[in-house]
Amino acid sequence: MSDFRKFILSLALSFGLPWLFLIVIPVVKYQALTPTLYDKDRDGVEGIYPPAPINRQGQLVYAREGCVQCHTQMIRPPQLALDAWRKGWGQDQEVRPAAPVRSNTLQDYLGEPFAFLGVQRNGPDLTNYGWRAPARGVIHQKLFEPRSQHSWSNMPALKHLYVVRKAQGPDADKSLKLTGKYAPKPGYEVVPTPEAEALVDYLLSLKKDYLIPGTGAAVATAAPAKK
Amino acid sequence: MQTTPALADPDIQADTLRRAAIDKSVKGPVLFLFLNAAFWLMASTILGVVAAMKLFVPSFLGDCQILQYGRLQPTHINALVYGWGVQAALGIMLWIMARRSGQELTRGKSVMYVAGVFWNIAVTLGLLGILFGHSTSMEWMEMPKFVWPILLISFLAFAWPMTTMFGRAFRPEGFMVSTWYILGACFWFPWIFITANVALHCFQPGLGALGAGINAWYVHTLVLLFFTPVAIGSAYYFIPKITGQPVASDQLSKAGFWMLAILAGWTGMQHYMGGPLPAWMPAIGAMTGVLLLIPVGLVGWNHHLTTLGQHHLVATSPTLRFIFVGAMFYPVSGAVLALLSAFSTGATLQFTHAWYGFQIIAIYGFFSMCAFGAIYYIVPRVAGCEWLSVRLIRNHFWFSVYGIATVVVMSLVAGMQQGGDLNHPDMWDQDFMQLTWNSQGYMMARAIAWLLITWSNVWFLIHLMLMVAGLGRRSSAPTLLEREHGDTLPHGANA
Repeated sequence: MSDFRKFILSLALSFGLPWLFLIVIPVVKYQALTPTLYDKDRDGVEGIYPPAPINRQGQLVYAREGCVQCHTQMIRPPQLALDAWRKGWGQDQEVRPAAPVRSNTLQDYLGEPFAFLGVQRNGPDLTNYGWRAPARGVIHQKLFEPRSQHSWSNMPALKHLYVVRKAQGPDADKSLKLTGKYAPKPGYEVVPTPEAEALVDYLLSLKKDYLIPGTGAAVATAAPAKK
Repeated sequence: MQTTPALADPDIQADTLRRAAIDKSVKGPVLFLFLNAAFWLMASTILGVVAAMKLFVPSFLGDCQILQYGRLQPTHINALVYGWGVQAALGIMLWIMARRSGQELTRGKSVMYVAGVFWNIAVTLGLLGILFGHSTSMEWMEMPKFVWPILLISFLAFAWPMTTMFGRAFRPEGFMVSTWYILGACFWFPWIFITANVALHCFQPGLGALGAGINAWYVHTLVLLFFTPVAIGSAYYFIPKITGQPVASDQLSKAGFWMLAILAGWTGMQHYMGGPLPAWMPAIGAMTGVLLLIPVGLVGWNHHLTTLGQHHLVATSPTLRFIFVGAMFYPVSGAVLALLSAFSTGATLQFTHAWYGFQIIAIYGFFSMCAFGAIYYIVPRVAGCEWLSVRLIRNHFWFSVYGIATVVVMSLVAGMQQGGDLNHPDMWDQDFMQLTWNSQGYMMARAIAWLLITWSNVWFLIHLMLMVAGLGRRSSAPTLLEREHGDTLPHGANA
């Protein structure tokens, strides 16, 4: 019996250590993490960081459709991967931005119940999608039938988030501008459901490269000497 | 009948009777678990085919919301993990623990049936939940929130009797290495499962990016501290039994076990290397992920030494054949984990199909091959009849081996290709067209490989159903893949 007890104790110790340091203590510490205030003199902006919350209703749709299987929400630093230099993946939409997009911090996801960092990157990263997003109608069209924009796309068509209904009079403002073989039958129109609208709201709210308080313009200009 | 003279010996006869009594006492729960597990395995492989198809023909089977890739893929993995993996593991654990503690299972059997039924109901509801739009999108925890307490209690209903049965047992031979692993699995699973589920489901307003890290930790520790121990435990149990040679090295066994126990709990967060987690977390995960090569290598070497000189039995015994391949996949999956973990290679393989390759080689290539071996040994003993057909076993073996090897190799190569496409400097202003095109061929291969595996599982399921129904061969000689003249297996292999 003492053998048995010693064995269980050793197991508890060997696993308890990582459990405590990797899970329990960080969880407790995370609870104390709060948004921080920008300092107008130091940072040049006012308000709180992170500034804008994500749209939670839309995030629920994002979760249930399993978008994470192919889309990540995490920019890796330039020494590890190309992410930060990819065109349009940050706030700066210039063809050749002056500085790489900054990688993410714990605070960027503050207030999100769970950060959907993603499983695979079969499609583009969406961390800062809000900056590069086209008009709502174009996003809706993509969600409804991705192949109407890119014939090669292997993205699922989320048709169940849309309603095909008989057009009442002239096309509603919200109806999708579909052409060719993807267009609905004459006299019909495709309109988004509230869920689709929430999903688009969420996608538009994805902006995670706001200035980190205290880093000044250092991150943006990659000149850490000028703090 | 080489056993006839042995049977005359009263000691051996008493021993055989004792074993038979133990087998009979666990028959019901073990067969229940295996049969349901095999059913889920079948379901999972079919889902695997469809999910792989969806990656290159997105409109395959229509644009029905239930069959979107984002819902199918998690269902496929969850069916594999909770439907097949954990149930098969529990059956094997229960049988080996009963044999190892030399005791009949007296109490808790009816509770086990109830727990088994609830486990399956919970998995069914959970998977339907994912398909019908209640997925949480947390890896391996996609099933809706209400499922996990049911799974936990059901698991404990199996693990608790096993542990107490073992605690009561008189062990003249002392601790044996296979029991370390299986006791460890009984102990680690609830700990990991409760930690991850409480952290991700019970905290308001949630843990943000730390939650993602804990999620990755959950997947890694579940592989390394539940599926791995059960698979190695059964390899340590069955390889000596069938080869008739003792485990080669006591020291290697000890080192392999304790290093795994010490290192595995730190892995996981390297999944999000370069991400928002504090830098030391992915760093320590990467370090332990690579260091795990040591225990993995030690155990692989130990199994190799134990099999040495008896390789002809790999051709003969279905159990040894499956376990031999499973035990070989252990070092291979360890190497894949190291590649995914180290920052230099991991940055390329991160967020690619290689991650899927790792999950499949760990759960299917390594764990399931060992589990199949164990099932081929255990079922005839508890069901009281022998496997019907050598050809069916061979079919199962070859289609599984080739299928798994294809899925894994294709996923790894696709991962390298994809990682290259994602990180190549020339791609800085490109869309994902090239990446999508480049991955198509690999995904087709994956779909075909899952089809091969489905084919193998059809026969496995039918064969198992016949055995459970008691329609196996009535014979005192086991079903062997090749019959050698003269004696076949050492006595222990038939016990």
